[in-house]
Amino acid sequence: MKKIFKIVFLFFTVTSFAQNDSTKVYKKRVLESTEVEFLMSYYKQNGDNASVTGGIGTEELTDITPTIVVSLPLNDDDVLTVDIGISAYTSASSSNLNPWDSSGASGGGDDDDDDDDFGYRAEGAGVEGSPWVASSGASEADTWAGGSVAYSHSSDNRNFIWTGHASFSTEYDYTSIGFGGSIAKLFNEKNTEVNIGAQVYLDTWSPKYPTELDSYLETNGNLNNGFFNGISIWDQNGSEIDKSGNNGPIWSPENYSYINDKARNSYSISVSFSQILSKRAQGAIFFDIVQQNGWLANPMQRVYFSDKENYYIGNPESIPVYTSNKNTNVFQLADDIERLPDTRIKTPIGLRFNYFINEYLSLRTYYRYYFDDWGVNSHTANIEMPIKISDKFTLYPSFRYYTQTAADYFAPYNEHLSTDQYYTSDYDLSEFDANQYGFGVSYTDIFTKAHIWKFGIKNIDLRFNQYNRSNGLSAWIVSGAIKFVMQ
Amino acid sequence: MKKIILLIIIAITFSSCVVVKEYEKVNINDPDMKLTNYSVDRFKTNALVYREAASGGNGGKTGGGCGCN
Repeated sequence: MKKIFKIVFLFFTVTSFAQNDSTKVYKKRVLESTEVEFLMSYYKQNGDNASVTGGIGTEELTDITPTIVVSLPLNDDDVLTVDIGISAYTSASSSNLNPWDSSGASGGGDDDDDDDDFGYRAEGAGVEGSPWVASSGASEADTWAGGSVAYSHSSDNRNFIWTGHASFSTEYDYTSIGFGGSIAKLFNEKNTEVNIGAQVYLDTWSPKYPTELDSYLETNGNLNNGFFNGISIWDQNGSEIDKSGNNGPIWSPENYSYINDKARNSYSISVSFSQILSKRAQGAIFFDIVQQNGWLANPMQRVYFSDKENYYIGNPESIPVYTSNKNTNVFQLADDIERLPDTRIKTPIGLRFNYFINEYLSLRTYYRYYFDDWGVNSHTANIEMPIKISDKFTLYPSFRYYTQTAADYFAPYNEHLSTDQYYTSDYDLSEFDANQYGFGVSYTDIFTKAHIWKFGIKNIDLRFNQYNRSNGLSAWIVSGAIKFVMQ
Repeated sequence: MKKIILLIIIAITFSSCVVVKEYEKVNINDPDMKLTNYSVDRFKTNALVYREAASGGNGGKTGGGCGCN
């Protein structure tokens, strides 16, 4: 009996050593070699509900986004990923922060709300602007620049992974610092994965206000001073008002004040659970809870009240067609900027299910239900069917449907009341449905035969997506990516 | 409460499946079977974060870091 125990003991000991040795010898690197991915997109949209001009006006926007992502294997277990990109955009809507720039009254190309414009305007030349015409001020174009660093470590058996990351981004009226981390545990022979993560963004506004509102406070409400000096203001009937206020009402945005909290912080916890269901199917559940605090409205976005008189600058003959794109030369003075609660809790729940139909065709599906405490409920459904047409090329037709209810604080142009506590005419918070059709093609060479210097081409991806919203906004985007692997 | 129960049912359903061995995962390991978005789709997703009130729930960014919704 003792001999049997000895043999068994010896067997397990040797087996155990053999397994340890084998683990050391055959431990696969998490990332075999350095990968560099260049990405780029070009986005274009148009619509008639610009939020900067109170829910009407051109939403024309273009955006180009060159980006580079470098993944470095530091050793067998650790990977460092650096992601740097810019987003350079031009926006007709944003340009109308100061809609009168295009008239030349402000000298063009100057800052959009600086005091030094006032003297120039005071000459009383024709000051014209419109929600339907892009202005040429500083806010017409901007560049977002951002970067992030992520570090991940995998355990020897690859069943436990932790990741830490930090990010920074800046644009002319907004900066963001973010950090977070996650842990992932795989079990059940790597058939099951649970991932828990947390993320914090500490963001800060450098608020830019609509020119007329900003000037109103700077001149202490004197409409014969500063920006307003020498400029006629018209009422709804096209009659010029007496700006002293001695002979009738004048434009007076009483609700308006500078924002008192420039911070906008976001805290999120994410939990996901993924499971291999069969040799051909796998699925996942994603659950996030996000709390946001601070100034959650955008100080650039105007609001007009239905219980206040309307006042205009520009050509009074265009007032009757103000809400149509026939209006090219008159602009309504805002009643306030949008006001929204200083907290918001968002709860998205997502489901993915992928099925490998055969060696030519796969099915990728996604569904999300979302709700928040601003009254928004939404459903998102996405389907994509990758079609392998050869060992190197794959086609990617896709379709996405989206629907949302309006936020409690949304109303269209000129429908809010000045007595409301919160209000916005941002159509991104309105009720709408949207369809998105996509098509893409991908080139993959796992042997990376094509080279540029020391790098072999692993992937080239190209995608096109057309997006149509039920409230008239339409957009398209072309995206491309090329991934190199260091040889 | 209904949603929580639904989630639990789905989780139990998923975890009750047969175990697929490593050598049987050739189809599961296909790049198109990944349970994440393609990297080239990041810009599309980012544009939607600006244009729609909902975000998150996809294993990626959940909100914050931009003056968007």
